[in-house]
Amino acid sequence: MQKSKFLPRGRKDRTMVLVDIRETKSAKAADIFLQVRPGKDFELITILRALIKDRQVSDQAIAETGLTREVIDDLIRRMKGAKFGCVFFGMGLSMTRGKHMNSAALLTLAAEMNAFTKFVAMPMRGHGNVTGADVIMRWQTGYPFGISFSRGYPRYNPGEFSTVDVLVRGDCDAAFIIGADPGATMPQPAIDHLKRIPTIVLDPHVTHTSKLSRVHITTAPQGIAAPGTAYRMDELPMPLKPALKSPYPSDEEVVRRINEAIAKKPFWLPDGSQPQMLNAQV
Amino acid sequence: MLRITGGKVYDPANGIDGVVKDLCIDDQGLFVPAVEGGRTIDATGMIVFPGGVDVHTHVAGGAINFARAMTPEDHRRTQAFIRTKSRRSGLGGMAPTTFATGYLYAGMGWTTVNEAAVPVLSARHTHEELADIPIVDKASLTLMANNEILLDQLEKGEFERAKQVLAWYLWSAKSYGIKAVNPGGVAAWKYGHDAKQLTSPIDGYSKLTPGVIVTHLARICDELGLPHPVHLHCNNLGAPGNISTTIDTLKHLEGHRAHIAHSQYHAYGGDGWDTMCSETAQLAEYFNAHPSITTDAGAVLFGDTVTITADGPWQHLLYKLTGRKWGNLDVENETGCGIVPYTYRPSNLVNAVQWAAGLELLLLIKNPWQVFLSTDHPNGGCFWRYPEIIELLMRADVRKESLLKLPDGIKGKITLPEIDREYSLYEVAISMSAGPARALGLFQKGNLGLGCDGDVVIYEEDENVRKMFGHPRYVIKGGEIVLEDGEIREAPSGREFIVKPPCDPGIDDFMRPLFEDCYTMSFENYPVEMERIHNPRMQDCIEVPR
Repeated sequence: MQKSKFLPRGRKDRTMVLVDIRETKSAKAADIFLQVRPGKDFELITILRALIKDRQVSDQAIAETGLTREVIDDLIRRMKGAKFGCVFFGMGLSMTRGKHMNSAALLTLAAEMNAFTKFVAMPMRGHGNVTGADVIMRWQTGYPFGISFSRGYPRYNPGEFSTVDVLVRGDCDAAFIIGADPGATMPQPAIDHLKRIPTIVLDPHVTHTSKLSRVHITTAPQGIAAPGTAYRMDELPMPLKPALKSPYPSDEEVVRRINEAIAKKPFWLPDGSQPQMLNAQV
Repeated sequence: MLRITGGKVYDPANGIDGVVKDLCIDDQGLFVPAVEGGRTIDATGMIVFPGGVDVHTHVAGGAINFARAMTPEDHRRTQAFIRTKSRRSGLGGMAPTTFATGYLYAGMGWTTVNEAAVPVLSARHTHEELADIPIVDKASLTLMANNEILLDQLEKGEFERAKQVLAWYLWSAKSYGIKAVNPGGVAAWKYGHDAKQLTSPIDGYSKLTPGVIVTHLARICDELGLPHPVHLHCNNLGAPGNISTTIDTLKHLEGHRAHIAHSQYHAYGGDGWDTMCSETAQLAEYFNAHPSITTDAGAVLFGDTVTITADGPWQHLLYKLTGRKWGNLDVENETGCGIVPYTYRPSNLVNAVQWAAGLELLLLIKNPWQVFLSTDHPNGGCFWRYPEIIELLMRADVRKESLLKLPDGIKGKITLPEIDREYSLYEVAISMSAGPARALGLFQKGNLGLGCDGDVVIYEEDENVRKMFGHPRYVIKGGEIVLEDGEIREAPSGREFIVKPPCDPGIDDFMRPLFEDCYTMSFENYPVEMERIHNPRMQDCIEVPR
């Protein structure tokens, strides 16, 4: 682990606390492991928010989280004593009971900790270049995901325009899938719709989704045989330099050629049929 | 090829003040004495300006993109650009998307913008975003005043080494110049502290003070011959009584070129929020006596916006003051950043002082070549509201009317009511184009002279100043008509200006061990590759007289 002026011994100068519902492999890498009762994340975070401000919390409330007052007090002492604290959180928090409420509570805790010491929070993203997709969608459309272009400009509504919702409702009549395998992870109604409509997959491998698609285009794997950029979880872009050559085109090349082919067709909205800009959205 | 005939031309770079003359632009997009064939625009009765140049804005990179993520509620209510065969869709508002940024800037006649704060670590990202901003030409500045490796050299008194380190970083980022934000304060913020006194050592250092950083960065920029001098966001931004810090900073810069960013935020008196007042008269006096220093106003307009700055500790304070959303980004050992949505209200005395102070600086600094139009977009207001500021500068009666909306308590805290000056069109052309272009060292911009870039904005003369500047009749970028009759016609890609400062080839060997000790990416992957820059244009370094 990196050494620095303020942490000259690297890992030895750092403390890692793992909070999870079961003792995972990460526990071995941690200095302290806290086993929280399933579904009690929000309660634990709220108790921490109260106790850092010296508010009263009942023994019963603490017992419900599966942790003891002693352990929580020790955690708070360490948090306040840190020179720079960072909370990493993942889908165990954002995709379980409470969902975005859990994330909001945790972000608030991190913000409030700054009354005592420097503290930040950062989401742990999924596999692949999820952060990269998120970053680019934001600069091009203002939104990270769950975007509809059906009115000719970007609109955002997770739960309505998210991929899974669009598929489950059967709203789309074609699907174009790059670098993802929804056939392996999405609920059955979504998969059923992918089977019904023309689904096109770009992937270096044959995936569950390729098997139900009409077209699979094999592409060169990014970072191995195709160049590009991947964004790290902290949103820093890393250049990908290919080590091998591939007979297959890159995702970028395929998309560019499809774009060029579409550009030759008449535009779906006749020129002048739409205003250039809406001053207020409807 | 293009010919513009009969227009009343304002070209301050060549001393032309409202003279009817023709302009010709050749196939390379440059002004030439005459052209054969091509289109002719009859600009009779119209006003011809060089394309606008924004000396200080935040339109691309990690910080503004974080702000976009934090403000979906604003995207939902703001202007929407609808996709066409030749144009991409996008959203305007407090933190516009990249394509919309290009359309909005070009839509009011601006053709060059300077992204003022880029950490080297996210330079690769910033260049990708800049490539997605159509029409306008771009430059970017690298954040340097809180970089640990550089600060360590200054602490050791290794000036020559520091100069080489800075040159290495600048070329790694493929940027145009140096930005200093709260020198030493952002480094201290990594541990929850700040740096407010120019002469006190910074946390973690024994000798190094913000004053030392300021002086040395200015000297390095001069000695390297960077076309744009050090671009400085002073310590103690936004705080009541910070005028003493600002004047102290300016004294540390004597003998050097410098550009002071958004000086409105650095011109306050008083000793608390209750007593905060404008001290712009004192600051303007300093500028009036020191013609080698330039500044941009960082003017504030009432309304909603989102504040983004590398000044992390200030943003934490703003979060505590407002209780609104707060985003914080720490960029390893290079810099930091904070984001807080904010609403400037005329009923709020502090905001009222800020609003007045921005205009006061634009009016009290006598030489328009020294003070430029800016809102520090999006911090003081969004760039697409510049025409509102131009109106306030040109019309004392509009200012008087606006002053009526301020609370009674404002009396004695501002000097704006006593100022009668009104900008002429010539002065507006300096403030929005010729002046910032000259300060940036972009001699081919803001200039309608032969051989310069054919960037022109043509207005229909109108009593309503805000309407006139908000809705140009034609905008021409590099000889191409990009806007006509209020519609974007073409959206060509812009270019990016970069500078390669002279650099000792041995610096790689010096940097590598230091880099590998503290960075989390590999040394080879760190510099942005030249082929990643979209339409790069190298700008030469210059000889800066001592």
